[in-house]
Parts: sequence; structure tokens; C-alpha cells
Amino acid sequence: MIIPRTIRQFKERIDHRAGPYGELFAPYEGDEVVSLDCETTSLNVKEGEILSIGAVKIRGQKVVTSERLDIKLKPPKSLTEDSIKIHKIRAADLADGVGMDEALEQVLAFVGNRPVLGYYVNYDIRMLDKFLRPRYGFGLPGKAIELSHVYHDIIKWRSIGGNADLRFDTISKNLDIPILERHTALGDAITVALMYVRLKYGETPNI
Amino acid sequence: MPSSFNMTNMPFSLLTEAEQVLLRSSLDIGYYQRGETVLAAGDVPEGVYVILKGVVSENDADADGGEVDHVFVHYTAEDYFGGWSAIKGRAIHNFIAEEETICHILPTKMLLDLCAENSRFADYFQQSLSAKTEIRSKLGGDQDMAEFMLAQIKDGVIREPLIVEQGSTIEEATRLMREQRADCMLVKRGNRYGMVTGTDLLDAIVIDGFPLATDVAEIASYRLITTASGDYLFNALITMTQQHIERVVVMDDQQLTGVVELTDVLSYFSSHSHVIGLRIERAATIDALRDAAAGLSDLVRAVVGQGVKARFVMDLIAAMNGRIIAKLFDLIIPPDMQPHVCLVVMGSEGRGEQIMKTDQDNGLIFRDGLIWPDMHETLRQFSDTLISFGFPECPGNIMVSNPAWVKSIGDWTQQLSDWSENCDGLAQMNLAIAVDAHPVAGNQALFKTSRNWFMRHLQSNKVFFAHFAKVALEFDTPLSFFGNLKEKGQLDVKKGGIFPIVHGIRTLALEYRVLETNTFKRIEALVELGQIKEKHGRELCEALALFIQVRLGQQVLRAEQDGVDQTPNTIDLALLDKMERDMLRDALHIVKGFKKHLALRYHLAG
Repeated sequence: MIIPRTIRQFKERIDHRAGPYGELFAPYEGDEVVSLDCETTSLNVKEGEILSIGAVKIRGQKVVTSERLDIKLKPPKSLTEDSIKIHKIRAADLADGVGMDEALEQVLAFVGNRPVLGYYVNYDIRMLDKFLRPRYGFGLPGKAIELSHVYHDIIKWRSIGGNADLRFDTISKNLDIPILERHTALGDAITVALMYVRLKYGETPNI
Repeated sequence: MPSSFNMTNMPFSLLTEAEQVLLRSSLDIGYYQRGETVLAAGDVPEGVYVILKGVVSENDADADGGEVDHVFVHYTAEDYFGGWSAIKGRAIHNFIAEEETICHILPTKMLLDLCAENSRFADYFQQSLSAKTEIRSKLGGDQDMAEFMLAQIKDGVIREPLIVEQGSTIEEATRLMREQRADCMLVKRGNRYGMVTGTDLLDAIVIDGFPLATDVAEIASYRLITTASGDYLFNALITMTQQHIERVVVMDDQQLTGVVELTDVLSYFSSHSHVIGLRIERAATIDALRDAAAGLSDLVRAVVGQGVKARFVMDLIAAMNGRIIAKLFDLIIPPDMQPHVCLVVMGSEGRGEQIMKTDQDNGLIFRDGLIWPDMHETLRQFSDTLISFGFPECPGNIMVSNPAWVKSIGDWTQQLSDWSENCDGLAQMNLAIAVDAHPVAGNQALFKTSRNWFMRHLQSNKVFFAHFAKVALEFDTPLSFFGNLKEKGQLDVKKGGIFPIVHGIRTLALEYRVLETNTFKRIEALVELGQIKEKHGRELCEALALFIQVRLGQQVLRAEQDGVDQTPNTIDLALLDKMERDMLRDALHIVKGFKKHLALRYHLAG
């Protein structure tokens, strides 16, 4: 998935550099990273609808939870029993949600051209891109950082044969990071952000 | 941050729902590696740090990050730190992550906003500060009290002494004192110093009729009362009060540093302990003495409110109470009887470990064959007067008004040895009280004779110590199987902590003939004798001081709320914060270890 996205981003950068969203495509100079997570109705991008989006900025060693994004969307039609069981978001919880247009606007403003961090981040990016493209003609412009890759790069020397366990719960356990709120977009985004900071600045975890 | 931040902890639970939402929306999360400095002294802090995970230590390492001098506190999950620093705008100490730490950071601006909005929250956050200001405003004008109580002698009251060599005449010395406007001088004779005061000079010439050419070294007094410059100023005051003198010599490592004068100390300190001391000294009638004694409770409250360590408060109070009792003795006991009797205080009073006025435990030893028909009548009056001073009656009736505690020296000693050979509980208890006896007035030689005989006598009866030590193990240490505090709600700190230490140390002190009665001093003496390891001695002292401090804090609180403290030894765990509970737990572990040590030493298996 990484390669097609890179090509597509390259094309979009050329297309939009001079357009109204040009600054989103400038190379990112700062040291901030945005940790982002979406709760959706399905794990299949084609079928899925976004229920909520959570994002938080990481500045150096600090997870800036005071600058964050916590968007609830209007309940989509595909909100069915199956997915409710996983993320525990009911239609009633989304009653005061915002429309997709407004949500995407907030996401673009928040993320800008910063790198986007997540756990299986490509899924979240593709999900957002699915809604961004028809409206803006481009997807999220920033670089993607995959938490499990960062983790794997650090611990691969220890797990001979390459059978590293990359499950979310395992990573958080090995890094000794408390899972703050599993299955809310913002909670997951913060947990991922903490794990990232831990991997980036802390000692190599013992496994 | 939605829910990882625990709002149910104090002081955040004091916030209203709207304020909690506001607080959550402004929190950041910081990550710190082991050994990383979260906040360095002198830095402008970002806000209050609330630990989510990990341990942070607070210390006052010098600014260039050198040696860690002293770790004050460890903070763990759910503790907060940096509140003071945030309010003051600058960190006072270094905060260092002892292990990987994740903290919530509440920005200073938000903290101040919340403090401005919610006064209870603000109070809690500034707890120590506000408690102090409250007491200050109550006492009015006593704000120097804490500074005074904690002032050390080196803090500016030491005077450069006027020194003359041996061989100077009285006349020369007097002129020199005049010139220097001094009223005392030190005379150097060889490598010793003697003190000569204006009064000494006057007495020498007028009363003793020395010629003016006499060497001042002849009239100097060489028995100097000394102190060290690192000692507390009020200890110097205590010394002066006890010895009826007006100046003490400051010696450091055998070297003369200077002289501390009463007038200087008094100008440093205007209205408290010493003034009470003076009032006690000057009281010519029982009523005047009663008024002076009444000031003592206020003094205790003020001193405790200022956070002076309980151990120093005890020294102060023991000296004051001793003076009151001795003065009353002077006023009530006929002067012709005074040389033939010795008044002793026992129990906690004898050990100098009481703080709030506890019941009187006292007794009288008189010379064998003394004939004093009104003795019991006079002693009853003595006890009644003490009760009217606010020293409660002793429930065990251990008072001079009880003839059982008024004995001739022979009977007294016999009684002690009878008790030591008897194993029943009452005898053991009486003995425990009696061996802490400390003479306060009258002829101390009587007491010393009896004590010395008894201590020698005990050496021949080794079984006694095992019996005696057993009592210290009677109460369980209130720790659970897993080493946590056993009781959720309340804890009897006397049974659980204080008594085992005091009694165990008492037993050891008897066995090794330590003459001190104060537990701290007994421990020091036992360490010096090599009977307790220095580390253990220090731990025991710290544990005991903590128990007393915590108990005192709660006693003062209850006395303020209800007037009377019905349960002086109860510690309400809910009133302690996490740190205090942890310290209490550690102290109880020390007690547990000490009890084990006693059991091994005296073969008290099971």
C-alpha cells in the first residue's frame, strides 16, 4: 500500500502545489507529528463509514493532549449491530455529531502537512482519503508513520526469525504503556502517541 | 484528556463538573526517561505534574547538577508535584524521573484560573501555605515564631567575645569592659577559658574585698555552659532557663566561637517560650504560676502549627513542664524538708516525651527515717494544685497524693526489686513507669542512690530482662501479611508503634545501665555502646519521631475540633495523604524488624 500512495501523493503534489491548498504540499519542516485514529463501521475500506476521528499532536517528548481533535460524525446508515459490539458507539452517541464536510475540514486544518502516525495507519488514511478525494481531489498530504514498523525496527534484532508479535495489546504491554481508552478514537490516538514517544526517546524495551 | 486522568483524587475531586471538563481539555502528557530531569531548580515550570505512571524524586542537588544531596520525597502514580513551583513561578528543587515516567501536565495558567475560581481547590493546593497563614493570622504578630524556633545559633546572635589574657588585673578588665560596652568577658588561662561578668567583678571587690590589682583569672568561673553553633537557638534558651544563666559560650570542635547573650536571644524572639520560662521562674505565688502554665498549651499549638519537629517540641515542653513542677515544689514543700526529699517524674514525663499535657506520673523519695507529720497533707495539696494547672489526674493513681508512690529510699528501692522479681502484669507496668523516673526537684542524690543500687541489682537477674522485654511484643504490628497497613480506618499508634520501641529500648537501656531516660537519648547511648547498629538506631529514632509527629498532628486537630481528645493514640488513616501513609508503613516495618531483633536477643520464640 505504501508504494501506490507515494506515487499518488507525488502526482497530487504536482497538481495542487499552485492551488488553494498548496501549503499542504510543502515539505514539512517542524518537529511535530500527529497521531490519528478513526473508529469505523467496518474494517473493509470500501464498505466502512467513519464514526469518530481522534487526533493529538506530539511535540518532542510531549503528547500535547491540550491540542487535539475529537470529532463525532453523524451516524451513518451502515452503523449495524456488529460494529457496535466492537467500538461500543451507538447511534444515540452520535446524535450531536457533525457532518462529513465539516469533519474533513477540521482534520485538514489540524493535520496540515505534518506526518501522520497511527497503528495500521494506512487503513485510517485510506478511510479518510476515500472521503477527501471526491471533495478536494487529494488525500492526506503528510508522510505516514506506522507505529508497528517503528516498533518492529527497534525490536527485530531481538526476535530471531522475524516473528515479532505486533498486536496492539502486545506492543503496549512490552512498552509498559497503559492503554488509556481502547476503542475510542482519541484514546487510541493518545496511546499510540505515547508508545511512539516511548520508542523514540526511551530505552529499548526488553522483550 | 478524556478519562486517563483520575479526577476522583484530591484535590481534583473538589472541582465542579464544568471545571473538570475545562481541566481535562488543557492537560498535556509528558514522557520522561529514567534519570531525566523533569524540572530543574530555577526553571520556570510548565505547570503541575500529575504522575500517571513512574516515580519522580525531589531533591536539592546543587544547580550544576552535581552530587544529589538529599532526596526529599518520591512521587509515584497519582501523586502530583510542582504545585508550589508553579504558583511561585520558579522551581525550588530538582525533580528527576527515577524510572520511566508519564505525567499529565496541568499548565500553570489553568492551575491559577482554577484556583481563582474554586477556593477549596486553591486551599488544598496551597495547603501548607494556607495552614500557616491561618495560624499566623490567629496568633497575630507571632509570625517570627517559626523562624525563631528553627533558627540556629549561628544565625546572627553570636557575639565576638571580649578576651583578656591571664594576668590582667580587675581594674584593667573593668576599664576594658567599659570601653567595649560589654558586660562580660572571657579570661584565657592556659588553653581554658573562664567567664567573668560585671556582677562577678562587683562581688569580688565589694563582697569578697579583693584588691583592684587581683588577677581576673582568680575570680573567673571555669565551668562554662557551652553549646554549638549548629544547635537550635531555643535549645540555648532551654539551657539558660534550666541553668538560671544569661549567657552561654559557643564552642565548635573545642574551639571558641563566641558568646550568646540572653538579651540578644530575647530581642530575636519577643514573646514565647522563654517568656513563659521567665514567668515560671518569677512566679512567687501559686496563682502566678498557674497563669504562666496556662501559656504553655498555646505555645505547643503555635509551635506545632509552624511545623516544628515533634522531637524538638518535646525537648521544649519537657524543660518547661519540669520547671513548672520544680517551681511548685519550691512553693509548696516547706524549705526545711526540701533537702530531704526528691520529687521524680515518671512515665512519658520522665522520658521527656510528652507533648500535650499528659496525666501526671510522679512520686517522692524521702530520706530514711525522715519525720514529717504533714507529709501526706502537703503532697495531696501538691497533686491537687497540679490538677488545677491542667495536668490531668493519673488514672493509675501514680501521684504523690497516693502514699504508695511516696516512699523512703529503702522502701522505694525494695519496691523496685520486688517488682523486678514478680512477673505479673501490674508489677511489670509499674516497673516500666518507675524506671523512667527522672528527678525534677529536691535532693537528687536520693534518687541517684536508689537508681544506681537497683541497676546493679538487676545485673544479677538476667531472667528479668527476658520477662521484661516480652511485653514489647505483646501487641501485633498493624501490618498485613503482604506488608501493607492492616487497618483501613484507624490505627492505635501507641500499641502498634510507639510502645514496642520505647519498651524495647527501655529494656536494653536497663540491661546496659544507660542512665538516660529519654528514648532518643537511650538509643544514642546504646549505639555508642555498640549494642545497636548505628543504622538501626537511626531508623528507630526516625520511626519513633514519625509516630509522635503524626500522632501530635492529629491530637492538635482533635483538640481544636472537640476541645477534648478522647482517643489520643488513634491515627485516622483517612486524614493522611498517600505519602504519609507510605512513611507510616515503612516505620511500622522498622518496628516489626526491631521486635524480631528483641525476640532473638531475649530468646522469646513465638
